[in-house]
Amino acid sequence: MEMLGLYPTWLEPMVGSGWVVAIISTIHVLASHTSVGAAMVFAYLAVVAYRQDKPELLDYIKKYGMFLLVFSYVIGSITGPGIWFSTTVASPRGISALIHSFVWKWATEWVFFVIEVVGVYLVVYLVGKVDQKTHMRIAVIFGLASYTTMLIIIGILSFMMWPGKEVWFTEGGYLNGFYGANTFAQLAMRTAFMFTMTAVVGGIVASGIKELAFKKAMLRRLAVLGIVSTLAGSLLFQWYLHTLPEQAHIVLENRLPDYFQPALMMVLSGILAYFLFTLVMPRLIVPAIAGVMTVAILVFGLWPEEVARESIRKPFVAGQYVYSNQVIARDVPGLGIKSEIPLLEEKGFLQSHVFLPENLRTVTPDNARAVGHALAMTACSNCHSLTDTGIRPLAKYFGGNTDVGDIKDYLLGALATGNTLYMPKIPLTDSEAEALAVYIGALKDDTVAENYAATRKPLAQAGEK
Amino acid sequence: MNAEMLYALRDVAGVPSHPVTFLILGVLTFALHILAVQVMLGASGLVIWGALSKAAYQRQLAQAMLGVAKIAVSVAVVLGVAPLLFVQVIYDPFWYTSNVLSAWWVIGFIVILTVAYLLMYFFYAKNHHLGTQKTICPGSMILSLALMLVVGFIMHVLTYQMLSPDQWMQWYAPNGEIDASGRKLHDYNLWRFGFFISLSVLVISGWLFAYRHYISHRTDVDNGYLQWLKGLATVLSLAGGIVALAFGIGWMATLPDSQAGFGFSPWVGLAAVLISLTAVMPKLIGSRVNAPLFGYGLFGLAAITVIVVAIAREVLRWNILFGDFGYNALDYPVNMDWYSTLLFFGTFVIIGGLVLSYFLTVAWQAGQTEGVYTPSPAVTRLGNLSILLITLWIIHFFVLGLWVWLR
Repeated sequence: MEMLGLYPTWLEPMVGSGWVVAIISTIHVLASHTSVGAAMVFAYLAVVAYRQDKPELLDYIKKYGMFLLVFSYVIGSITGPGIWFSTTVASPRGISALIHSFVWKWATEWVFFVIEVVGVYLVVYLVGKVDQKTHMRIAVIFGLASYTTMLIIIGILSFMMWPGKEVWFTEGGYLNGFYGANTFAQLAMRTAFMFTMTAVVGGIVASGIKELAFKKAMLRRLAVLGIVSTLAGSLLFQWYLHTLPEQAHIVLENRLPDYFQPALMMVLSGILAYFLFTLVMPRLIVPAIAGVMTVAILVFGLWPEEVARESIRKPFVAGQYVYSNQVIARDVPGLGIKSEIPLLEEKGFLQSHVFLPENLRTVTPDNARAVGHALAMTACSNCHSLTDTGIRPLAKYFGGNTDVGDIKDYLLGALATGNTLYMPKIPLTDSEAEALAVYIGALKDDTVAENYAATRKPLAQAGEK
Repeated sequence: MNAEMLYALRDVAGVPSHPVTFLILGVLTFALHILAVQVMLGASGLVIWGALSKAAYQRQLAQAMLGVAKIAVSVAVVLGVAPLLFVQVIYDPFWYTSNVLSAWWVIGFIVILTVAYLLMYFFYAKNHHLGTQKTICPGSMILSLALMLVVGFIMHVLTYQMLSPDQWMQWYAPNGEIDASGRKLHDYNLWRFGFFISLSVLVISGWLFAYRHYISHRTDVDNGYLQWLKGLATVLSLAGGIVALAFGIGWMATLPDSQAGFGFSPWVGLAAVLISLTAVMPKLIGSRVNAPLFGYGLFGLAAITVIVVAIAREVLRWNILFGDFGYNALDYPVNMDWYSTLLFFGTFVIIGGLVLSYFLTVAWQAGQTEGVYTPSPAVTRLGNLSILLITLWIIHFFVLGLWVWLR
């Protein structure tokens, strides 16, 4: 019997597994971008400290470095693998697709990550213990290695959205998947915003410097860095948008709320205003203000950005061939990958899913709700919460209609045929659609399942006779 | 769960090199990772022991080990990324299933590890002068170690559950009712977990000998402290070896019936011999421990022991998954990609080897130098070469990328 390699499902009832991934990812982006940016700023400061004989800059490196060790290299280095862990449990075939195409690239990044982690300890702890030129050399290696980790991960993230070149689908090849217009646009944009985050987070440390003149000088440097990087990032964001495929633009226009664009502009304006204030009045910046600004960037800047990025790749989760619900949606001849849609059309989920208890493989009036629940977990729960809270609750998409026939018609007419924008094609069989409809109806009205069983049981028994 | 189902769970993209490459790298990097974990656990234990004591040497050691533990967590995390990567490549059906079945704990792993590490930093921030001043908030370090053991246990369970595909459906849908909460840890073996934890005593004893030798050249270290360290490390190695062997025997005795004979296999025999040798070696070599070969060699011996243990662990996994369930990790379909394969090994060997040699040489020498350390021209050349090679790597990234993009 040909099986569909779907894993068990993890159902998180409060926020949904997708948001768990998003929360961890957002925190990681803040910590990791800050660490990469800080590494490059450290390299710059170490060079200036050496060439212009300004040892006070090394004191700043040491102080910021200790902070960075906790902020980025505790939280950042744990949430990094944390993204793997969370995507593993939320979307195992999605992360698997990335791992199996880019394992060597990730392994290469790991080499630079090791260099980076050893480097940050040396940069912090060897201030004053090695000559300045050696310290500068270590800081430069640290900065370069740190940026290299970003170069690598951006290519993988770009593939996750869209394989770099269309030819990847037919010919395969790591290079075709990794490099494309989106790779470079995203790299440029993230590099700019990385410095923005560095400037904001660096302000927490700089604002705590006791010597007023040095504090002002450092905060002004960071403010200039922040203004330039925010302006550059805003322009590069336009380039990034330009590299998105048409499908993503359709999703952007139709699925994101109307306030998204104006809100984004307001966030960028707020960040610029903060840096201008810092530039003019550095004396007034205290760690608490810089800390609040960091949290503001996390909540109002990174969170919407991550959510939007997650949205525009729909209905896929990886490489435009793995659906969000983990089904392989298209052929990729370059890697010998076959779409699983034909198998589903022929056998349905119930007869092909590896992880389904035997009592749920056939729909009966008594088990229709339980089968529907299993199908909802498999086919829907990656993007739709099955409770009232969390991401896109499933029950809210049917306008309060609990009629099993109506819901089934929709499922067979719009979803099973793949005619809904933004949604995957879900080729349910007739009995599967009915079971799912019973479950969806029962989400709003508990009696739906009982009534269904009561009316269908006699029919089923008559059929058996 | 039969072999056909397990094979169905494999990733459809195949793997970009022969699977044996990932198997070997997985074992080696796991060994390095668990070695760092054991150093961290051993060092943390010594920190708590010293922090709760009034004895001067214990406190002096606690201060040194606090720095070791703090960095060892970082090293363990960064080294842990590699085996985590490789296990997903060839054991994806097992790893992903095990994780999803205990998903809540997988997320908990991240949170608990973060809290544990932050607690350790908190203790460090409050106790910069542990050697000479009263301990502040020792509970934070105790809690940190306790939470580290919890995350270790979670990882043990995730790895252990991989080995029971025959029970997965029962765990996921007990009595035919799906439980997708991921809130349960379904299976564990305390003997196996205890074995890996107890090895930390043996490993930290080797570390103490190396530490002792490293500081023995400094003029600010008193001889009494060095002698005390030697005695402590000798006792720890013996005790650690005996406890590890006891747990190891318990582990082998509780293997599934199909693997009952594994305890008498050559790899287990070699591991047992090495554990015993590492345990008694300090007694055997006596005063020769002052020579560099033995001073550092004892930690090297402990590291080799851990590598052999890691190999034995992998052989056992292979035996269970192939022998009991018919899953052959080495017949994973290959979509060979020479560029990324060579890029990794080139980066790993040339850049990784060179830069880390430079970093560790500078750190080593700086630690042994009183005052400011200035590297020799040869070491400096190593640093300059490191910068050059990483720069070339970055240039290659852009040149190749632009060519692919624009062609």
